[in-house]
Amino acid sequence: MQTLASLKKSSDAYSFGFLDAFAKRELRRKILKAVAIPGYQVPYASREMPIARGWGTGGLQATLALAGPSSKVKVIDQGSDDSVNAANLRRFIARMTGCDATRDTLECTILQSRHRCPEERLKRGQVLVLQVPDPETLRSVEPNMTRARLMHADQDYGLMWLKLYEQLVRFGRFVQGASYPSLVNGRYVMSPSPIPRWDVPTLHQAQHLTILSAGREKRIYAVPPFTRVEPLEFTDEFFQVEEQSDWTCDRTGQRYKFMNEIPETDGTARHEISDTGYADKLIQKKEGEAVTLGETYYDDNGTFYHDGFLKS
Amino acid sequence: MTVFLNPNAWQPAPPRLIETAPILEVKGIQKRYGDIQAVANVDMSVYPGEIMGIVGESGSGKSTLLRMLHLEEPADAGSYKLNIDGWQDRELLQLDRFEQRKLRVSHIGIVYQHPHLGLRMHNTSSGNVAERLLVAGERTYSTLRQAAVSSLAASEFPLQRMDDLPRHLSGGMQQRVQLAKAIAMEPALLLLDEPTSGLDVSVQARVLDTLKSLQQQQKISTVLVSHDLGVIRTLADRVMVMRGGHVIEAGLTDQILEDPQEAYTQQLVHAKL
Amino acid sequence: MYVAAKGGEEAIQQAERLYHDLKGKLTPEMVEQVEKGMPYLLDRIMGESSLYAPQLAALALAQAGGDTYEAVLILRAYRSTQPRLAYALPIDSNSMTVVRRISAAFKDIPGGQILGPTLDYSHRLLRLDVLDKELVAEDSGTAELQAADEPSPKQYPPVTDWQRTQKMLPELDSIENPEPADLPDLTREPIMFPTSRPHRLQALARADTGGLLALGYANMRGFGPVHPTVNEVRLSYARVQLKHPVTGTVFSVGNIRVSHAEVVQTTKASKDKVGLELGFCATFGWNEVKNIAGSMLDLAMDREDVHPAFTEEFVLYHTESVESSGFCIHLKLPHYVTFTSGMDAMKDAMMGVGMAQMPTSSKAFEKQDAKSPAPEADLETDEKVSPITAVESESETESEKEMS
Repeated sequence: MQTLASLKKSSDAYSFGFLDAFAKRELRRKILKAVAIPGYQVPYASREMPIARGWGTGGLQATLALAGPSSKVKVIDQGSDDSVNAANLRRFIARMTGCDATRDTLECTILQSRHRCPEERLKRGQVLVLQVPDPETLRSVEPNMTRARLMHADQDYGLMWLKLYEQLVRFGRFVQGASYPSLVNGRYVMSPSPIPRWDVPTLHQAQHLTILSAGREKRIYAVPPFTRVEPLEFTDEFFQVEEQSDWTCDRTGQRYKFMNEIPETDGTARHEISDTGYADKLIQKKEGEAVTLGETYYDDNGTFYHDGFLKS
Repeated sequence: MTVFLNPNAWQPAPPRLIETAPILEVKGIQKRYGDIQAVANVDMSVYPGEIMGIVGESGSGKSTLLRMLHLEEPADAGSYKLNIDGWQDRELLQLDRFEQRKLRVSHIGIVYQHPHLGLRMHNTSSGNVAERLLVAGERTYSTLRQAAVSSLAASEFPLQRMDDLPRHLSGGMQQRVQLAKAIAMEPALLLLDEPTSGLDVSVQARVLDTLKSLQQQQKISTVLVSHDLGVIRTLADRVMVMRGGHVIEAGLTDQILEDPQEAYTQQLVHAKL
Repeated sequence: MYVAAKGGEEAIQQAERLYHDLKGKLTPEMVEQVEKGMPYLLDRIMGESSLYAPQLAALALAQAGGDTYEAVLILRAYRSTQPRLAYALPIDSNSMTVVRRISAAFKDIPGGQILGPTLDYSHRLLRLDVLDKELVAEDSGTAELQAADEPSPKQYPPVTDWQRTQKMLPELDSIENPEPADLPDLTREPIMFPTSRPHRLQALARADTGGLLALGYANMRGFGPVHPTVNEVRLSYARVQLKHPVTGTVFSVGNIRVSHAEVVQTTKASKDKVGLELGFCATFGWNEVKNIAGSMLDLAMDREDVHPAFTEEFVLYHTESVESSGFCIHLKLPHYVTFTSGMDAMKDAMMGVGMAQMPTSSKAFEKQDAKSPAPEADLETDEKVSPITAVESESETESEKEMS
């Protein structure tokens, strides 16, 4: 017989994907809007998640709103599956959805990442979810969000260009590190999240969908498949990715992938491929295991796969 | 050229020998702050290549009028037109924010009395000039450098300091950077708001020389606001005298300064000369 | 290497266990103790969490070992899982049971000044004697409470009522039958600026107590425009009522502790706007300091040309407790990719230009005193240096390009 007590859900039960249905509906609608207006920051409610703000709550909400029972999720932080924060997020997603987790870029349907894109090319149907600490690329020239929104509306990006001009004057080159401002679909300048410059071109005319979600700042934006993403550059002074051409990965012997620099006690440094999932597969392959390596954005000579997109 | 003493009856008349249409035409422009009528029903016109001086004491409404011409202060009523390609038929007081910016960037330059109003103190001097071109869409670095050099050279700025921050420059040099920025896009209209008032007398004289020679070379139509009759005499072709928001007297500069009709203008002139 | 790299997941689990091990066991008794013994701490937590549930607040606090930022985060995250099923009816402040209300603006006010429960006039002596003896039931450190001679009135007219009849304050806009479900809900939509009135009051209500206090204090101490008078501070119990979705019967779901503060300041804006301006802040629970600081900031935020630290965007963004604390601790996360990227961008620049010269000098025009140009030197330069021609400097620009 049913009683009130038997109808009550157990006190540690949660909805699929943690968020209640209203929150997920709002997120999906806002994601659709973001896809419809590439690069435009869509404000959204951004519920509090059971991890701290600034630790990937935006990416987490997007992932949970997109994940279904058959999703396969990969989570990386600084390129690594085993970074403690990536491990924590993966554990939470698995706990709240029952989704399978994977470390293989080729296998995942959703790749949630902080600060990196994978080396292997993402394909049609895959979604890259980037965690965004600060969605407002104009913040450095206009800290007031209300005014910055007006500047986007007016396509008033003069100050962003002035910032680049000043860098050339003072340093002889662009000195922006990560979060390189990029023009999406010829309309909105966006922050690609603090991914290194090496990763920014991988968003350009990509096969996959990229969702960028800032939980603390409550903004979500997107780069749909096959959309132009152009790092800001002058016609005679070009955007440049990180110069690591003389670095060789200590684990795999590979070159021309984005590397971490690890200081050694003797004053030198060694280097390791930052995308640990990819590096692990390279090692497995070397040891004779049957693994599939995907095509990469940069080939073994460091050439980017869209011919001529990176000028020098 | 006739000067009517009744301010309401005064109509702008073109200087002799100039038969072209005015480049700037303002009718019945007004601005009120609470109980104070800052600008009351002012008409004015500026002809291509001339410098129109506006003189008056502080509170006379001359700076408010200039800010309205720069579209940074909305007017309460009136009409404002510029005879520039693409903008002839537009009522400029009705422009939205986006169009205001577009017009300002390409066609109006301004020099403020206080450099911090016109310059980004944390950007280089050349960057301040280049910003105008960047906003207008220029994306070639070498072109930006060249434009900064030629504008700064035209305002007689020492080029070896072009990449210094304005806050490391003297007041006179800051004004030259403002001027270079104002003329960088070869504007149709140049607005000067007390451009030399904050400067030492000797520096002031040199900046005035620059303005004079720039005007002779480039023939930019200019509105010059100043409380200083000396500045007006040096630069302006025509002059309007403002008091309490009204234009009380207007005409050729020599005529007004040599033979002022209004008692107030007479006081101004005699106090100065 | 591969095996060692797998350690991330294991490490975080062990770290959490160690934390709980050092903190001590979480038991129902402990939660009960916290709920009974720390009502003011619960009030603060419930206000910042936008969730009135003393038992859950006590649980969150106990679970977090008393870390208030953690406790608020836990409660707000729990709130994210709960659908909003119903909307309570508006509460008329006249229907509340008032236990304390004071006004600093008048010696006496209609209904009287009611001190109520407060430590305001107590001596803040540390009660070491409590540690000396076994705690017994009657030892609360105070003599027995005396009942008042007369029962207190059921209602206290707001001080603003009197001020409105005196035309010191404008009449309130009357809202007929406000529909609670139509009110914007800050927990269901992002804050945008300028805010709506409901969003602003909701943001103040859930703001970090310490954050509001810091900005409110800065404001009243002299960096802001508002030096107000406390018009009224109230602590009350309010009855929360719902309407049955089918029968329409109104029924009570319980009483909650609420508090609010109003501050006033005489207007000096212009001649046609004379009188008083009102700032308001209300919270779940009894939070006097927060309400006073919040109501003051409410007033300051409406001023034109206010100090940047008291604008609406500045105050409401930066006093968000979960966002501000989360972002602060996120700096502990690894940032080595961004660091590498940033160092790469600076490497050439550091080699090309000496670090010390970076802010002021350019490569194109080397000069002797780049580091400290004195204003006097500037004036001289203004006089003596004649501008070099455009042609000359074009060639210099070229050489600069070659160098870069």
